[in-house]
Amino acid sequence: MRAALEAALKELFGPGELLYLQRIPGGASKEAWVLDYRVGERVYPLFLRRAGGGVIQRRTLPLATEFRLLEAAHAHGVRVARPLRYFPDLEDREAFLMERLEGESIGTRVVRRPELQRTRQGLPQAMAEELAKIHRIPQDRLPPLPGPGEKPAHAWILEELYMDLDALEEPHPALEWGLRWLQDHPPRPLSPVLVHGDFRIGNLMVDGEGLVAVLDWEFAHLGDPREDLAWPLVRAWRFGEDGKRLGGVGEVEPFLARYNALTGREIAAEELLWWEILGNVRWGLGALNQARRHLKGEERSVELAVLGRLAAEMEYEVLHLLERYG
Amino acid sequence: MDRPTLDELLEATAEFLEREILPTLADPRLRFQTLVALNALGIARRELALWQGLMAEDQRALATLLGREGEGAELLGELAHRIRQGQAPEGTFAFLKAHVARKLRVASPRYLERYP
Repeated sequence: MRAALEAALKELFGPGELLYLQRIPGGASKEAWVLDYRVGERVYPLFLRRAGGGVIQRRTLPLATEFRLLEAAHAHGVRVARPLRYFPDLEDREAFLMERLEGESIGTRVVRRPELQRTRQGLPQAMAEELAKIHRIPQDRLPPLPGPGEKPAHAWILEELYMDLDALEEPHPALEWGLRWLQDHPPRPLSPVLVHGDFRIGNLMVDGEGLVAVLDWEFAHLGDPREDLAWPLVRAWRFGEDGKRLGGVGEVEPFLARYNALTGREIAAEELLWWEILGNVRWGLGALNQARRHLKGEERSVELAVLGRLAAEMEYEVLHLLERYG
Repeated sequence: MDRPTLDELLEATAEFLEREILPTLADPRLRFQTLVALNALGIARRELALWQGLMAEDQRALATLLGREGEGAELLGELAHRIRQGQAPEGTFAFLKAHVARKLRVASPRYLERYP
């Protein structure tokens, strides 16, 4: 792998020296490598994503698609690490190279660390600005992505969630209750846009100055813009700062107002409830599925195992939201 | 069965992880995973202490809701099915809240305290 990388680095940056190449621990389905390349006095901090040998998770984008998506996002001014080179076959697996940015992306730290106080104040606005940019990328600039096709976006997602629930082969009447309510109260249709699919604190890299980058594009798809707007409201992504509904850092109204001002969409705060409930159902199912990955031996991990029990937190939140606002 | 009891064994294991292993770990990922493992032991201990009572409570409430006796998982499956068909019995919502709260008293009791 080193030789193939060195050849590509030479092409990209000129003759130099690969100073450092280290795999960092992480998921089994994708590998992450940190590397530094020096040309003369200058050192380029870089990051390599490579397909893992493990089981590919359903619904995550192939690396080739993710790479093209990052290129489109970068070209449209979205804050992302610059994608540099796609390798169809880096020692038998696809991979891509990108810039390595510095910052904090651990959710609990982003919502709590005192030195990030100023960043948090600006974050609702910054999040709205990034989403406005993402949702404006013309679809003819995008690689083929999963999407609702001819169906309304909300109906497509509900079908997917029912499939996930059935695949568990375990009754979860609270999630059924949430899904039933969602079916019975369909949202007004909006034209599909590029949806990041996992836009929350924890996937945003920040530093003391503000938002550095939007990470983790592997769940991107075409869909309803309100899906991205409501996902950071899900209580699990507030990291204990329950009173601040937007990702544990701020309030929904200024975030939504900024988004509406930038996009010309007139999305009301109440409309996000449907997608917030959906988000909680989805993360509840996600947690149950993560535990299945452990139980099936796809990725043994006590962290994944415990998620199977913590899914009840999301069930409780679904019921709470319906009791209070439904 | 000889002492220590199952709960005492889990307690001893948790104490070992917390007092002897955790302070030696510098790698943040290993620290996090160890805290998760401690949480898993906590769940196991609460399940041991509470589950029989909670299960019996759940079972009684479910049988009343559905108007018939039966095995727990089967009744829960029937309720799930009826909700999906849009034919949930009267009182389903109240049952669900209590049912999920019972699961959380084992899995995550502090989470419940976060709700007013």
